[in-house]
Amino acid sequence: MGTERTKIITHIATARSWLAANSRWVLILTLILALIFPFSVKTYILSLGIEVLIFAIFAMSLDLLLGYTGLPSLGHAAFFGLGAYILAYVSSNSELALGLTDNLLITLPIVILGTALSAVILGFLALRTSGVFFLMITLAFAQMLFSIAIRWSSVTGGSDGMTGVPRPTLGIGTWHLSFTDRADFYYLVLAFFCITWFLLRYIVRSPFGLALRGIHANEQRMRGLGYNTFRYKFTAFIVSGVIAGIAGMLLSQYFWHAVPHNLFWNMSGQALIMVVVGGPGTLTGPVIGATLMRLLPNFASTYTELSETLMGLVLILFVLLAPGGIFGIFHKKR
Amino acid sequence: MTKEKPAGFNRRELLQATATVAAGYTAVPLLAACSSSDARPAKIGVLLPYSGIYAVLGESITEGIRMYLDEIGNQSGGRRIEIITEDSQMMPDVAQQKARKLVEQDEVDFVAGIVSTGVLYGLRDYFDSAKKLLICANAGGNKISRELRTPYIWRTSFSNWQPNWPLGDWAYKNVAQKVFMSAPDYGAGHNMVDAFANSFQALGGQILGMQFTPFPTMGDPAPFITEIQGLDPPMVFCFYSGASAVSFVQSYGEFGLTDNIPLVCAGFTVEEDVLPAQGTAALGALSSLHWSLLIDNPINKRFTAAYKNRTGKDANVFAVQGYDTGRVIAELLIAVQGDTSDVNRMIDYLAGISFDSPRGPFNLDSQSQNPSQHIYVRRVDEVDGALHNVVIEDLGAFTDPGDNSLG
Amino acid sequence: METLVIQTLNGLVFSMLLFVMAAGLSLIFGQMDVINLAHGSFYLLGGYIGFTMIRQYENYWLALIIAPVIVGTIGFIIEYAILRRIYGRHHHLNQVLFTFGLALVAADLIRWNWGSYVITVAAPPQLQGQVPFLGIQFPVYRLAVITFGLTIGAILWIGIERTRIGMILRAGVSDAKLLSGFGVNIQLVFSGVFAMGTALAALAGVIGAPIHSLYPGLDFEILILTLAVVVVGGLGTLKGAFLGSLLIGMADTFGKTFLPEFALFLIFAVMASVLILRPSGLWGLRGQR
Repeated sequence: MGTERTKIITHIATARSWLAANSRWVLILTLILALIFPFSVKTYILSLGIEVLIFAIFAMSLDLLLGYTGLPSLGHAAFFGLGAYILAYVSSNSELALGLTDNLLITLPIVILGTALSAVILGFLALRTSGVFFLMITLAFAQMLFSIAIRWSSVTGGSDGMTGVPRPTLGIGTWHLSFTDRADFYYLVLAFFCITWFLLRYIVRSPFGLALRGIHANEQRMRGLGYNTFRYKFTAFIVSGVIAGIAGMLLSQYFWHAVPHNLFWNMSGQALIMVVVGGPGTLTGPVIGATLMRLLPNFASTYTELSETLMGLVLILFVLLAPGGIFGIFHKKR
Repeated sequence: MTKEKPAGFNRRELLQATATVAAGYTAVPLLAACSSSDARPAKIGVLLPYSGIYAVLGESITEGIRMYLDEIGNQSGGRRIEIITEDSQMMPDVAQQKARKLVEQDEVDFVAGIVSTGVLYGLRDYFDSAKKLLICANAGGNKISRELRTPYIWRTSFSNWQPNWPLGDWAYKNVAQKVFMSAPDYGAGHNMVDAFANSFQALGGQILGMQFTPFPTMGDPAPFITEIQGLDPPMVFCFYSGASAVSFVQSYGEFGLTDNIPLVCAGFTVEEDVLPAQGTAALGALSSLHWSLLIDNPINKRFTAAYKNRTGKDANVFAVQGYDTGRVIAELLIAVQGDTSDVNRMIDYLAGISFDSPRGPFNLDSQSQNPSQHIYVRRVDEVDGALHNVVIEDLGAFTDPGDNSLG
Repeated sequence: METLVIQTLNGLVFSMLLFVMAAGLSLIFGQMDVINLAHGSFYLLGGYIGFTMIRQYENYWLALIIAPVIVGTIGFIIEYAILRRIYGRHHHLNQVLFTFGLALVAADLIRWNWGSYVITVAAPPQLQGQVPFLGIQFPVYRLAVITFGLTIGAILWIGIERTRIGMILRAGVSDAKLLSGFGVNIQLVFSGVFAMGTALAALAGVIGAPIHSLYPGLDFEILILTLAVVVVGGLGTLKGAFLGSLLIGMADTFGKTFLPEFALFLIFAVMASVLILRPSGLWGLRGQR
């Protein structure tokens, strides 16, 4: 038993140092694999790939709050759903919506502006609390939006949601790209994923990101050092909200609809599980988490009706045995 | 048309029975002789909730489908029939991914199922773009027969309008001329209330008030019941389903309203899946639906007995919808002689399908892509020591108007 | 006017049910700093066990005692075997996530065992029927629920304020470490408190069953309302749980009366407003982080 255990530990250690030494090559290889992905798999697997990427963006955005800043939100679906609804309202061909355009050059700025504005309001109010109370207030805000989505049916389509959301296009004048085709849409999502990843990597390595980690470790000390911690947390909240909104936008374009479920607490809970299982405080962690938590129940529910149990057990095991998540097993703690 | 059928076997049933027997004897040589495409089984992807609050509906519908397919030996139109089930988890995003799996990975010929309207609408654009057939076995949102209609989605269940519009008319003539209305604040709730109100008001009926209760969770219904009690209307119309149907009707009895204010409701409110839990609080409730356990026709008698024998439970309307879904698919396979390659050809044949169902004559209407079917008024009574919906009147056949002109 | 009085009564019934739930949740938080997201699952489990007992022995009162004992024992085992491994400041989120995982597992297992049909539980024969009140008929059982709630509240209050165990508990709220310095087995206190809290949830489950029935999904429905109560009232105090229950119970009832479609919105709006204005609740412990 003892030797087995040492063996495993040595293996993990070897994997760790190998990953650390070759991280650049791993990154390039992953990117190449991601680029040729649509040519090498069946259409259904491609659709799972799109779904995973969208949720990975969503989970990464939450990790900026949870893993880096130490703000556990149980209402992150608020921005995810808002992004979906704003996009749907602007571009859906349903009679409730404006149906203006599907051109990303117009819709994307509107989604960013809309989610940023709501993040400013909600963040300003929610950041008066911390710890479990932050968990509760974000939950309350998201559930309020959920109620509004169901109630305000003349704008949102009520419980039926808004259908007829088109896949996006991109174009100025005569130059024009369409992402109607699934493979094309995959590349668009991949592009958004890469931008998000590099942007967040830049942010968390910048002095701003280091300050966020400082706040996570000890907010009082950071305040003592003269940091206006509220401003840091507020900015992180807005950035995180906007990225979640973009993920929501992509989701509604992918599924052709925006529905109240996008705002529901259980969507927030899912994102939270993704981050925790994958590895909070890292960027790769939430991506692994999103992959696992979207694919596992998907496959499991084909074979068992106890897929929730499986999700719950996975969560419990990680909390108890590997609080650093999957990524944490292979990476030494900071 | 359907009423002209002779009492015994109709032609199609006879053909089918013959085919079943013949298939049994000739299956082996036939399979060997068939071209490879015909030997491939016809696959039905069944997409239903098997977890969460609507699991009962998912299970009942699945049992219904399986039961019909077992009756015909799991083969039709020269093809063996296979079922692949997937859990929609009542979530539109999960359901759409599962639909993709069934259509693209498992390469099913049809997808059937769908309990909630939200999920149905969420799937609409996928089936429309994939050009695959979706046979909806429950979700009743009016829009799918109206503004969201697509050639690729057909319904074997009902539209929310269907049972309630005739009920408004009947209730005005037989119960009271004034009504108080109560329903959950979501798509189906509004559909049902609007349909009832449309015909009720057309006769001069007066609506004393409406309450739309919180969705998806109603919580304690006591405040709503107290409001009704305070107003003391001569009649209450309501629609609830699942857990909220039990809470609402139970509180209705708890506050002593059952014996004093007639409860008229959309049939789902007191259907067999919730009636045992509601108990005597539901006694006397009047409701309309396209089926009742106690409809007196030979097919229903045989169906309900066989279902009870198979599952140990009384059948419910969802099981009937599943049973008829199995039948529609089997009939379609016969009509196209097992060739499912051309979806447009299948759609042409779908429009003509009609047969005698446990619910009575069943006709797939080509305009609303929804069955034209009889609506029954039922009353909750004690029958042989248990509560059931006794049919008190057959209102005749109704077809969804296909637009919003009648509510 | 009469309707308003009746609605107040309805609000009181609902408040008392929430209070029994919230008292358990708040008790656990006060001692161990754990937000137990599986609290709704213990409610549902208690209700279902109660249902089984009533069907077996046709005795509601027996169920009212046995179900909390069984669920309390389960709570004790969970705390003793697992939860105590993840105490401490840095594990705060981990505790929440652990109980969330527990809730997911419990929901499936309960459905697996008792099925997904809605189950109703009859009120005990002594408490069936209605009494005339202000011109309408009011259910006797609902009046009994008010009595149950007040009785349990009184017992808890005496237990905490007037007994030696209560003194240990009160000391534990302010400083658990200090307590162990006086030779109190703090681990045992924690296990006991967790068992007590879960038993209260199960008790609420049995009391609530004749009103709310039992069905999958009720666990999270009731959990969210209970969270609203403790957040509004403030965590860790019996007074906060009591007054918070009254506030949320009344907000729910009168929200349903006057703005039925916005009833759910209203609960969350109250919850958010209190958190914004007084982040540690209206009657909560001071100095929360």
